[in-house]
Amino acid sequence: MTGRTAPLLGRFRAGYVSPAVLLVAGLLYAPFVWTAYLSLTRYDGLAPPEFVGPANFVKLFDDPALLTATRNTLIWVVGTMVLPVGLGLLVAVLSYDIRGGAWFRVPFMLPYALSGAGLGLVWSPILSHDGIANRLLGVDTAFLQDAPLNTIAMLLVWTWQQLGVNTLLFAVGLQSIPKEPIEAARLDGASGWRLFRHVIWPLLAPLTAVVVGLALVASLKSFDIVWVMTQGGPGRNSETLAVTMYRDTFVAGEYGYGSAVAVLLTVVTGLASYLYLRRRA
Amino acid sequence: MIRRFVLVVLGLIWLGPTYLLVVNAARPADTYDPSRAWIPSPDVALIQNFLQAWNRADLGQSLASTALYSVVSPALGVLIGAMAGYTIVVLRLRHGFLWFMVIFGGTIFPSQMLLVPLFVGYSDAGLYDTRLGMIIVYTAISVPLSAFVLRNFFSGVAFSIFEAARMDGASTLRVFFRVYLPLAASALAAVFILNFTFIWNDLLFGLTLSQTAEVRPVMTALAGLLTDVYAGTPVPVGLAAGLVVSLPTVVLFVVTQRMFARGLALGGLS
Repeated sequence: MTGRTAPLLGRFRAGYVSPAVLLVAGLLYAPFVWTAYLSLTRYDGLAPPEFVGPANFVKLFDDPALLTATRNTLIWVVGTMVLPVGLGLLVAVLSYDIRGGAWFRVPFMLPYALSGAGLGLVWSPILSHDGIANRLLGVDTAFLQDAPLNTIAMLLVWTWQQLGVNTLLFAVGLQSIPKEPIEAARLDGASGWRLFRHVIWPLLAPLTAVVVGLALVASLKSFDIVWVMTQGGPGRNSETLAVTMYRDTFVAGEYGYGSAVAVLLTVVTGLASYLYLRRRA
Repeated sequence: MIRRFVLVVLGLIWLGPTYLLVVNAARPADTYDPSRAWIPSPDVALIQNFLQAWNRADLGQSLASTALYSVVSPALGVLIGAMAGYTIVVLRLRHGFLWFMVIFGGTIFPSQMLLVPLFVGYSDAGLYDTRLGMIIVYTAISVPLSAFVLRNFFSGVAFSIFEAARMDGASTLRVFFRVYLPLAASALAAVFILNFTFIWNDLLFGLTLSQTAEVRPVMTALAGLLTDVYAGTPVPVGLAAGLVVSLPTVVLFVVTQRMFARGLALGGLS
């Protein structure tokens, strides 16, 4: 930083970030510290926690349910990048600068307004065994029973709900990129895929970083849809890491073991977003 | 032309489940039949279904609380997050990327993990089952996303704009409120909407941190009713409640879509 600009920047800078830091530290980091401590104990929520060292983590790596949950979470992450994010970009680009483009996006925004409980209500009758999807396609498929089909089916529900947000974010990004390069490229005869690939895509990069970053974190933490539609079953075969953690903690009452899953999930999510952001920053 | 065609086809696919929701929410409660779900009923009973849900789950007070939470918390969160983004990017806070990672790091924690510690902490601090407590937790959750989006947005704004404003004698705080916030209006609106929706639809925090009808948010109030669907509440009643309670979010989306469309028209490209 040069001496010339330094006085311009003001002196009270730390004061401006402190509300954000204090809120995040007090309500999000502090609970994590507590959970990290619990992950080293055996705790049933009633008797005081008993310190057991890394035993929970050792048990974790022998747990077949954890392997399934990791596989399913991976499907969620990859599928999220392709479907809600990729399709969302497609819809945003297709509706970019055509007359009434914003109205074309409304059908995609509507499902985002539904809560998790509402999603379950809408989709359970569609995907159930004698449900609407089977009748419509003329097949007899156990959409929510067989793994990994049930995870993929729920991924489609997730796409139905989430596509609109990504479209909205991409649309905001498209709107804020400078118009001149696009006009210039148009005058040079670029259109369609070439215009997108060589002009729009590079200009959209900062926003893409936001959308992909958010989708990465959200998909690693997938919980709501699974909990509403299958509770992770049947036989725990559609659990994600977040569902495994919730089940171990609140259903099985093993707070220590559930906390270990929470710590693992947090570390994975943190590492993924750190590596991603560092590359993009 | 191809673009419009693809958009319309995709849009119709997306509207399919929405159609099922509306048609079956409007069906008289005792005439629901999964095999005839596609066919609209000649009798419209949406209002009756919703009123039945309203009475069963005592939705009135919950709706008022939820409206308070989902307006105040995202507004505070967006402001606090934008200010952090501004300080890090424009004022070039020392170790800015580190501070950014600390704030954005708040999103990596799965919310289910926060429940037990927050319940214990809130009970000790006297915040359990208070509106203030709910506003604080929802604000904290809104901050990381706001900081993330606004930091990216501000890094695209030319530094010369900042220099010019400062040379004119405006304080850094004044430059933030008068220059940077207005510039970021569409990004602020987008973040507000996302946080509004998240809080409006939140179930877990309401379930854990509130108890009385005054404080309890609406999804928590509805949850009892909805999980009850298989044991008592007719499907159309559950759907009607879910539909009506989602209306504020839908209205917000549609209104802001128009704002985005207008912004696009004003942004050049004539």
